[in-house]
Amino acid sequence: MAFYKDRYDAIVIGGALAGMSCALSLAKAGKSVLILERHNLPGGIATSFVRSGKEMEATLHEMMSLGPKDDPLYIRDYLEKMNVAIDWLRVPEAYELTSPKDGIDIVLHAGYKDQGKLHYDDKQDLEFIAANEIEKAYPGNRDEVNRLLNLCRKVYLSTLYLNDHTLSKLQMLKDHEELVKTAGYSTKEVMDTFALKKEVKDILSAYWVYVGQPISSLPFTIYSFLMADYFLGGSYVARGFSHGMSVAMAKACEKAGVQFEYCQEVEKILVEKGHVKGVRTKRGYTIYSDYVASAPYPNKVFSTMIEPKSEVPERAYQSLNARKMSVTCFSVVMLLDQKPEDLNIHSYSVFSSEIPFDTDKFWEEGKHLGGWSYLSTICLNLANPQCTPEGMTSLSITVLPLPEAFFSVKADDYYSMKRRLAKEMIDKVSARLGINLLDHIVEIEMESPMTMSRYTGDYNGGVYGYQHSMDDSVVARLAQIKDDIYIQGLAWCASHALTGNGMACNINNGRIAARTLLTMMEEDEKKGERR
Amino acid sequence: MKIKGFLKDVTGASRVTKRRKKLFDEASTTYTYSDPIREVEEEVHPSPLLMKVSAVENVSPTTKKFTFVPSEKETRKLPPFQAGQFVSLKLDIGTTKTTRPYSICSAPFEARQGKDSFFAIAVRNGKTDGFAANYLYSNLKVGDELWAELPCGQFYHEPLRDATHVVALAGGSGITPFVSMAKEVAHGTLPIDLTILYGSVSTKDIILEKELSEIHSDHVRFVNVISGEEDYQGEKGFLSAELIKKYSFGNPSEGKTTYFVCGPLPMYRFVKGELEKLHVPAKRIRMEVFGAPRDITKEQDYPKEGVPSKVRIHVLRGIQEDVIDASPLESVAVALERAGIPNHTRCRSGACGYCRSELLDGKVYIPKDSDGRRLADKENGYIHACQTYPLSDLTICIPII
Repeated sequence: MAFYKDRYDAIVIGGALAGMSCALSLAKAGKSVLILERHNLPGGIATSFVRSGKEMEATLHEMMSLGPKDDPLYIRDYLEKMNVAIDWLRVPEAYELTSPKDGIDIVLHAGYKDQGKLHYDDKQDLEFIAANEIEKAYPGNRDEVNRLLNLCRKVYLSTLYLNDHTLSKLQMLKDHEELVKTAGYSTKEVMDTFALKKEVKDILSAYWVYVGQPISSLPFTIYSFLMADYFLGGSYVARGFSHGMSVAMAKACEKAGVQFEYCQEVEKILVEKGHVKGVRTKRGYTIYSDYVASAPYPNKVFSTMIEPKSEVPERAYQSLNARKMSVTCFSVVMLLDQKPEDLNIHSYSVFSSEIPFDTDKFWEEGKHLGGWSYLSTICLNLANPQCTPEGMTSLSITVLPLPEAFFSVKADDYYSMKRRLAKEMIDKVSARLGINLLDHIVEIEMESPMTMSRYTGDYNGGVYGYQHSMDDSVVARLAQIKDDIYIQGLAWCASHALTGNGMACNINNGRIAARTLLTMMEEDEKKGERR
Repeated sequence: MKIKGFLKDVTGASRVTKRRKKLFDEASTTYTYSDPIREVEEEVHPSPLLMKVSAVENVSPTTKKFTFVPSEKETRKLPPFQAGQFVSLKLDIGTTKTTRPYSICSAPFEARQGKDSFFAIAVRNGKTDGFAANYLYSNLKVGDELWAELPCGQFYHEPLRDATHVVALAGGSGITPFVSMAKEVAHGTLPIDLTILYGSVSTKDIILEKELSEIHSDHVRFVNVISGEEDYQGEKGFLSAELIKKYSFGNPSEGKTTYFVCGPLPMYRFVKGELEKLHVPAKRIRMEVFGAPRDITKEQDYPKEGVPSKVRIHVLRGIQEDVIDASPLESVAVALERAGIPNHTRCRSGACGYCRSELLDGKVYIPKDSDGRRLADKENGYIHACQTYPLSDLTICIPII
């Protein structure tokens, strides 16, 4: 019985978005690729589930980096090149931020004046729709908002360029001045140089949850990427839920000749003389390849997976001690028995704060089990009206606590813990809507870090990788990309990789992992050491 | 802070790079791995546990109760579960490798009491699922060991969703999840008010009556409803709208009672109609999954003609291909089991999706009531093997298990 070939050019551990894009890129380069996924579905947490015949979105997140068809951003181009066909639906607004203690209640939209005629990478400064919306509520801020968003855009364009090219320092300074000059600063530091009202700064910080880092320690580079990408291109959801997106990528993998195996947990990565030589699965199969892309966290790989353990250099352990885990998530996913408008729900994405807006405080709250005051509430119907049976609403509420908040939870308290946290969150949103959502629940599921751990195996249920802080800036990650290779033939393809969390970022992480492995293959070939 | 001048600062990139490098340099070279989230997760949803039969008891003339405790070889504990959930038992019967889902009839607290932890199921020497039920009923004895996967399913009281007043509508061996609920209520760990209406043809068909009669709680009411004994002293007939209304809290249409339904397929269809007559809001009805229809060809939309009597299934696992014989009367999952090809099933009702496989070629029939697939799976040719019936030769791709 042989289920596997003797050898593959590369093995990808984990068939989530990063793993699939890594496999697609490698296959496109003519490599034979095997994906080993521990679950029986593709996509990791970009998935959905069915309750009593009704499909529910598990990841109420929106897809960035696509942009409209006539002004496409890089991931739309990439997916097209990889023959991934997904029916995208545009999310109507960027977000609503409501922070009653600050008197803030505003809806912002993505896009800019003359979009389609002008493009996201136009030489001239763009006039953002959001700047006008902010101006309406906070007069006298338009120009500065536009200036900030255009600065973000320039950093973004440079980041995109550097994603695919390497440059000399001089060229960097010449062509990517804004990136170079903001690289050493946090978002707060840069934002404070703009003459913006406090409320406006708060409004423009609402997306902090999408990287899980307070703006005082969030590198401006990352902030720029997030803001420019969302406000230029808007966001999208797949018509067939996140699972539809994952299935489309899985199908594209198969068409590209990738062998995609589900229900295969990898237990060991085999290493010899500092170079990967294969993997061993939990079912006992040893499969050979000199190149492996890993979705399991470095923490797990270096501690439990590398065989023999003596192949793990000290530097790898130092990296684990130096890097800090980012946030995980706790979500309540509900189907409600009325239409969104009857439940007072009018925006797809609402960020709400119970306390005066302060990302440092929100982040601190994430160290505890409950008492969270920054909630993200998403109503999928407003982007995808067909996502529920007629007359129902799909609503999710999410917070991003740190894994440590859950370290004291015991198995016997697990279900009551989930319900207590969920009720707290539902009560808060109910109070905001003026409607008791508890009277309307048809289906409900609660997703905790344990749920993440269950379906993905992710270390400590972490879904956001390592903190995108000034201590571990993406600029530094990029500069040290070679130093961060501790074992030849091993690359990373999940949220803990270079560009961090998020569906689009993970597709990019996969591309980067493929490129890393292809470079290693070339180098090895030059040295004549490997096949 | 020299922030104001940041637009002149070109050293930022090297500064953050040095900062990161320094942190790495100064970090300890010994690392202690710990993942407490995973530890809880593995206790809550363990991979299959090796269980040993510790007791077998007759609980009706045709039904046995089997009590399971962790085998001496098993180092892990039974997980916490929620009253109403089921266990999936792995069975090797001859050359067939199969699984069967059984609602747990013991209470959750009984699975979490240290050395005395156990769970129990009731198996009827059945007409509906003769093969495995008869095997268990006739063969399973004290000391036998089995692999068990639990907890499974969503058939439990969810306080954030369901009413505090619960009316359980049970038929046949569908009483089992409610015995678990009733025990948990009496134990004070499930704060609901539970009325069980248990429909049987005759008093001989009642199972687990002793267990139920031993439960004493102000919050549990147990009512037998007998359809086939004229002289029965109690509720007679079927689980009709009138009877359901009588035992409900408030008018059923007001949504103050949640109805949990568990029993054989014909009973489901009947009870569903009765609940509709009472205008019970959809969110107040919880149906347990009900297994495979006894005769797939009797389904209303099953093709009238053109179905061959025998088909072949090409089964791809990785780079290996096997060809097996199958009958259109049986699901793809059963065909795989008969051929001895391992395939992960749990609910066997089309709902849980553990047997998700890819259909590469061929025509199949999937009963509408048991189609628990995701939209994208329907559109892209993925099937749940346990509720997919071949209508022609097939080519499928399944996980290597």
